[in-house]
Amino acid sequence: MRRILGHVLWAAVAILAAYALAGIALKRGEPINSIWLVVAAACTYLLGFRFYAKFIAARVMALNNERATPAERLRNGHDFEPTNKWILFGHHFAAIAGPGPLVGPVLAAQFGYLPGTLWIIIGAVLGGCVQDFVILFASMRRDGKSLGKMAREEIGKLGGLIALVTVLLIIIILLAVIALVVVNALKGSPWGTFTIAATMPIAIFMGLYLRYWRPGKVLEVSLIGFGLVLLAILGGEWVAKSPSLAPLFTLSGVALAVSVIVYGFFASALPVWLLLAPRDYLSTFVKLGVVLMLAIGIVLVRPTMNLPAFTRFVDGTGPIFAGTIFPFCFITIACGAISGFHSLISSGTTPKMIAREWHAWPVGYGSMALESFVAIMAMIAACALQPGVYFAVNSPAGVVGATPEAAAATISAWGFPVTPADMETLARDVGEQTLFYRTGGAPSLALGMAHIFASGGGRALLGFWYHFAIMFEALFILTIIDAGTRVGRFMLQDLLGHIHKPLGRTSWIPGVIATSAVIVLAWGYFLYQGVVDPLGGINSLWPLFGIANQLLAAVALCVATTILIKMHRARYMWITCIPLAWLVTVTFTAGYQKIFSPAPRIGFLAQAAQLQSRLDAGTAANIADTQALIFNARLDAAVCAIFLVLVLTILVDSIRVWTGILRGKREARMLEAPFVATRLRAEEI
Amino acid sequence: MSRVRGFWALVLALLRELGDENAYRRHLAAHGRAHSRREWQKFSDQRLLARFVRPRCC
Repeated sequence: MRRILGHVLWAAVAILAAYALAGIALKRGEPINSIWLVVAAACTYLLGFRFYAKFIAARVMALNNERATPAERLRNGHDFEPTNKWILFGHHFAAIAGPGPLVGPVLAAQFGYLPGTLWIIIGAVLGGCVQDFVILFASMRRDGKSLGKMAREEIGKLGGLIALVTVLLIIIILLAVIALVVVNALKGSPWGTFTIAATMPIAIFMGLYLRYWRPGKVLEVSLIGFGLVLLAILGGEWVAKSPSLAPLFTLSGVALAVSVIVYGFFASALPVWLLLAPRDYLSTFVKLGVVLMLAIGIVLVRPTMNLPAFTRFVDGTGPIFAGTIFPFCFITIACGAISGFHSLISSGTTPKMIAREWHAWPVGYGSMALESFVAIMAMIAACALQPGVYFAVNSPAGVVGATPEAAAATISAWGFPVTPADMETLARDVGEQTLFYRTGGAPSLALGMAHIFASGGGRALLGFWYHFAIMFEALFILTIIDAGTRVGRFMLQDLLGHIHKPLGRTSWIPGVIATSAVIVLAWGYFLYQGVVDPLGGINSLWPLFGIANQLLAAVALCVATTILIKMHRARYMWITCIPLAWLVTVTFTAGYQKIFSPAPRIGFLAQAAQLQSRLDAGTAANIADTQALIFNARLDAAVCAIFLVLVLTILVDSIRVWTGILRGKREARMLEAPFVATRLRAEEI
Repeated sequence: MSRVRGFWALVLALLRELGDENAYRRHLAAHGRAHSRREWQKFSDQRLLARFVRPRCC
């Protein structure tokens, strides 16, 4: 009876998923309610988890709860510790959830809600969740080894080196692009700038509190820190209205970029406990709380999707970034569908904490499904805005016109009516001077979130919620910037240590300063380039980041496929090969177009050629600036080409290994830890 | 009621895990030591050193 009830229930979920997906895909002409997206996504994730992931777990990986995991065998009370599966689920989700799934869907909404939504749902179920799950499994069976180590051992030394260099390059591009998101969100905003500036002394206070006054009381100090941050948001409104203080916190893009660069350098060189760790704790709690609040808010408010299913920009002429749906939608949304970065987390802390092998099923696959759901919520928040407002906030002046009147006229002519008066009223409601040209995705996401959060309390609370959302985004972006700079420094020291030994020592102060400076200058350069870019920076940097992130996913899937073949599961290699083939197609097409497209807004080389012709004709407004822009465009093309060559190399190397094993010319040597029967009792977890 | 209590206990345990408080308890138990400022600092330094050499997710 129970079995029949189960079948009926899953059949109902499948029918509901199909009905909701058909509803969002086929309905045209009138706005739909966002609850359809929630139902379609939730039901599809449930089906993917229950059937596809379980099939992979049982048939492909043959998970075995009788086998002791590294958490049990190597238990040390620190890294290796068997942990309750739901606690580990939350831990893993908190580790993989970053700004990517929030910002990417907001930017991709320029195509309309449908392409991005379908990619988020399908990409996650068949790609992202599978990648996270398989890599987690592989690392768990290899004593928690990292992706780089697995690449070196399973594919070859070249694969390991490429994985390391790719990660380092991606970190640099990632830090630049997310710093650009913060800079664009805070540009000309005294309220936002004050709030974020206040989080630094608050974090230092928390660090001292935790170190000397109440050691070990992390939850207590985080609660105090959160209270102080709320006070800072309220204080920000007062600062913004103060004639003497407001100018001090009203900064240009360049001034903010320099501030973030200087901050990044000091934060990476200061003791971790003083600034980085307390803010990391706070940002993790705030992140989980806000995601939960947003989910509850969307279900209660059920906002209407005001953006259409498709916009006219499917033809590649979008103002936010140029390029057609294929391939650009699929690299703009990375983290919500499939993200290479997750493979680093799945082969980091998590495999060392799994108590039973079957726990990898909810932790690996389930956490990514939840992350994908966060991306759906971001898409809803963006599409709940009036389309005219969405494009006015996200379009750079270089595309829509340098004055509010010109921008409003351009956007209205596209069929998305908006007036300067509408935008002025909205800016006043949220306590900003203007909301035009606030590119990067964060301000429009904050506006969407503020509308959802404030719908119970009226427009009076719109300003508070807008700045709460900006604080939430900036808080964990800055945490990624300082932590990422530190990680980049360690990786660079690791590489340079082979050339000059003292450079590899993390305790040698000149080495620490020099390598910190190199990493900060590297991402700082790309950040500065984005800030001064007349097309807003996001047009160049976000696709570069998307390509890099998806290429790392391709590296992870190469490793996963190699492991499946060595496990004699070649008949199931389509599980990782389908997403791999898709990613290679998408990223190589996008990479090729970003380098060689004849359209100057898409192709870096065409952009450089166009600027060069202006220089040659003597029509460039500023010779030095134009020369810098030409150099930047060529540099971006070179970086993109390096990514493609690196991944092509590891792909060819992997195929060589696969064919060798499948033809019987190469030994399929399994590098799993030997089987040890578990002695872990249920009550211990 | 007991289910609500159980859920709340799970949420608290998750927050303590994310805040390293559980790991600190395990550290004290594993080494048979009592809580002190010095012990926390030692634990925290080791823990944070290991954490901040790993890339953060985007």
